[in-house]
Amino acid sequence: MGTVVTFDLYDDRGFFDEAVDVAFAKAAATLHEVDRVFSTWKPESEVSRLRRHEIGLERLSEAVLEVLDECRHAKELTRGWFDPWALDGGVDPTGYVKGWAAQRALGELAGLGATGAIVNAAGDVAVLGRPGAAESFRVGVVNPFDRSTLSCVVEVTSGLATSGDYERGAHLINPFTGVARASVSSASVCGPDLGLADAFATALAVGGNTVLEMIEDVKEYEALIIHHDRSWRATAGFALVSDVDVSG
Amino acid sequence: MKRAFIVTTATVAGLAGVLAFHTQPANLSLTGLTGTTTPGGGTSTTTSTPTTTTSKPRTTTTTKSRTTTTGAGTGGAKSTTTVAPTTTAPTTTIATGTRSAVGELVNYNFGVLSVKVTVNGTKITNVTIASIQDGGNFRSQSIDQASIPILESEAIQAQSGTIQSVSGASYTSAGFQMSLQNALSKLGL
Repeated sequence: MGTVVTFDLYDDRGFFDEAVDVAFAKAAATLHEVDRVFSTWKPESEVSRLRRHEIGLERLSEAVLEVLDECRHAKELTRGWFDPWALDGGVDPTGYVKGWAAQRALGELAGLGATGAIVNAAGDVAVLGRPGAAESFRVGVVNPFDRSTLSCVVEVTSGLATSGDYERGAHLINPFTGVARASVSSASVCGPDLGLADAFATALAVGGNTVLEMIEDVKEYEALIIHHDRSWRATAGFALVSDVDVSG
Repeated sequence: MKRAFIVTTATVAGLAGVLAFHTQPANLSLTGLTGTTTPGGGTSTTTSTPTTTTSKPRTTTTTKSRTTTTGAGTGGAKSTTTVAPTTTAPTTTIATGTRSAVGELVNYNFGVLSVKVTVNGTKITNVTIASIQDGGNFRSQSIDQASIPILESEAIQAQSGTIQSVSGASYTSAGFQMSLQNALSKLGL
């Protein structure tokens, strides 16, 4: 499962090239470190060892503890529809980690003093500032029925995560039935914490309307789901700047 | 706008994290985009030469563009990438030195492509598109690996006007990844 992460720096203040390179290098290092600690593909990672019960909770690093805490929080908010402990093989926080890592890496660009930047980690998007003086970031959402087109465009002020039945990987599992199947075609969530948005999107992908109603009650998070029959629903504050078109 | 790419790859075959990092001018030349999926619309690949700064009407705020190599060494390799085999420990030793392999042709969104990977020992030094056919002409060219995911999103961006990013698309298309894995397995990695 290859993941390409892109960082776009919007700035006309002419940062020195070297400074930008250093910032990008730090961002890369952040992702590399997260991969080393959290990757379930790496048998020697801390999370892999945790999954094999080779390491106790008291020996976990702060990063892993923080992520597990956030996952617990996400599980509560979604009433169990997001549940990294429900998967075979042990706890798997990947549904949260991708967004969380991308946002931390974006922080390296913030450290540069950037006024506009965007990170896209395999479709999870976090933004910093603005792309230009009077604009907001606008992010397209892939149309799940025709992936060369968009279903809509969203104004994003912090983060946008999308999950769908087109995803590979075993993370879209109904924690209550164990069935690995998305109940919607696409679920998108906007909010200040991209990791949480990622977790919510995962929960929406298996829980559909039921979870959408829970997200409605979570301050600062908005969501859109597109059903298999091409109908769609969004929370009241979901910042669409276009119509939703899934005619495919 | 300055753009950097970082690739993390964990293959189903069990390779641990591969990390590549290189910066690139924002102005990939992708002329002739119509945002459609017809092969004609995809011919933007023919003109893509990422190391030049060909202008393209992007609606983003574009700063100066430059090519920066971040890899060490004299080969001008842009990527610093490492491959660490996992503990399904191969009993055969991995050959040293520089070797390349081309993966099988696979389908991607607009046609078929194959990926060429170059390694030095267990270290990936380059990944390029070996061949790409988008419904019409078969041609070989060296396109930076990032171009294909960008192409997918560029077509989308052309369709939609001013957007800065796309959510919901895994930036590495499954086909690209499959061919890359195939090439790596040919090298015993």
